[in-house]
Amino acid sequence: MRCLEIRGVSFSYRDGTVALKEVSLALDDGEKVAIIGPNGAGKSTLLHLVAGFRMPFSGEVLISGKRLDMDSADSLRRDLGLLFQDPDDQIFMPTVEEDVAFGPRNLKLDDIEGRVARGLLSTGIEDLAKRKPHRLSYGMKKRVALAGVMAMDPRILLLDEPTSGLDPRSRKELIKLLRSMDRGMLIATHDIEAAAEMVDRAIVLDVGIVMEGTMRDLVMARETLEKAGLEVPPVSKLFGVLESMGYQVENLPVSMDQAVAELTKVIDREGKHLHAHIHEHRHAEGGKDAHEHSRGRREGSKAE
Amino acid sequence: MISMHFPGRMFEIHPLDEHARTSRLGKLDARAKLIGVMSFVVACALLTRIDLVFASLIVAMAFAAAGAVPVRHTLRLYLGALPFILLASLSLFLFVGFEKGVAMWARTSACLLALIILASGTETFELFSGLRRLRVPSIITTLLMLTHKYIGLLTDELSRMTVARRARGFQGGRSLLDRYALKVISYTAGMVLVRSSERADNAYEGLKSRGFEKEMIGWRTRRIAARETAFMAGMLAVSILLLAVQMELIR
Repeated sequence: MRCLEIRGVSFSYRDGTVALKEVSLALDDGEKVAIIGPNGAGKSTLLHLVAGFRMPFSGEVLISGKRLDMDSADSLRRDLGLLFQDPDDQIFMPTVEEDVAFGPRNLKLDDIEGRVARGLLSTGIEDLAKRKPHRLSYGMKKRVALAGVMAMDPRILLLDEPTSGLDPRSRKELIKLLRSMDRGMLIATHDIEAAAEMVDRAIVLDVGIVMEGTMRDLVMARETLEKAGLEVPPVSKLFGVLESMGYQVENLPVSMDQAVAELTKVIDREGKHLHAHIHEHRHAEGGKDAHEHSRGRREGSKAE
Repeated sequence: MISMHFPGRMFEIHPLDEHARTSRLGKLDARAKLIGVMSFVVACALLTRIDLVFASLIVAMAFAAAGAVPVRHTLRLYLGALPFILLASLSLFLFVGFEKGVAMWARTSACLLALIILASGTETFELFSGLRRLRVPSIITTLLMLTHKYIGLLTDELSRMTVARRARGFQGGRSLLDRYALKVISYTAGMVLVRSSERADNAYEGLKSRGFEKEMIGWRTRRIAARETAFMAGMLAVSILLLAVQMELIR
């Protein structure tokens, strides 16, 4: 069932800056969609607009089938869980559990105790319940903010740069956590590798929608990505080279985890061997013609 | 907490509630502290006899010592308000008489000292939550909490910009005649306001996205324990005693 529909939405700031132009997209229940784009592409604006914080706009936004406008914004926000880029913007209470309870109490939801417990559990911070949020690390603050959102049990999660500013371990843990959550998600990010780990499909946004498809589709459209100020992840580039060398790559990997899975498949298919062709390069003065490859040398390395 | 190193020294910018956890008062319920301290402050304000005023100052100093808030911190806050106290005392001293002037200084110092210890020994949020639980209208307590949050954002931005300014070699600001330094500081003040205003907008959206309408209050609440009742009763007893002697009900 469709939980969010955006039809031809355009939005400009008061100074005349066009932030979004004719943006249309739809999100089904449980579906995870990444909005990928460079800085200033309108990703955060789109999320804040869906949450009813950027008005007026042209076009139409339907949340759970209901039209978003000035009057309905407060009530429709109950279906949305907005995770801000900076967790300090949405943490208000003196202890973690108090902060997680903040949303459910405001919305007068039932079983606050249970919601807080589930929110803390689902984000893996049940041990931090009595701690002061402002004394936690940035990664933990992100989890606290997410727990606060989860305790409200929203139908759709709007995540603004969830992996930004996180160290590798926190980033990996958050990706795993978000991947395991079974609800509609709109994830604004420029972290293509993280998006590849989490989402079903992606949209490249640069004020307007540049392209839409699976992460593989996006990575294949290298020129489009580069035009939008984005870059193909190094691991995809590497497998592109492997493919051009004749190795059949079933799914072009976008993240390191996918690369490991793909490499394992390639190695299995090649009879537990991975062959590398090594050319000897000679660079001499004289430009292009002076670049010679010595042929006929081939070495194999065994990977078992 | 933001900290940074410069050759030979270290700057530390402390959060607002730095002593609330270490103070002996920190663990007491905010309601008990509010009732106890406010009754003492009201009693002090009503005292006119010089001996009783000095007795109240001694009680306030004993309260400060018992609270275990660092003396340096207490003095710093007290000295911040001292010019205003002295101004009021001096005007009384000049126009009414020496004794009245000294009484004014001692009385306001006693009140101020008790309030400093209350504020320093209680987390700000707890203090406002305590006020709300004592039936202060939510519009007032919520405004206080939001103001506190905004002051936090302002000081945070100011800290960042101060650090950034110094990291780029800015040494000015020690003389009013340094026009370049004044220009830099005025730009900083403007930027702090703009940036904290942006962050305040974000915080507002953060509140709204979590269903906030008008009330901010702690979720967990508990009964006032025996030691908190004892503290409250002790402060009330001292206040009543001072007033009773003042009114010559006790000789």
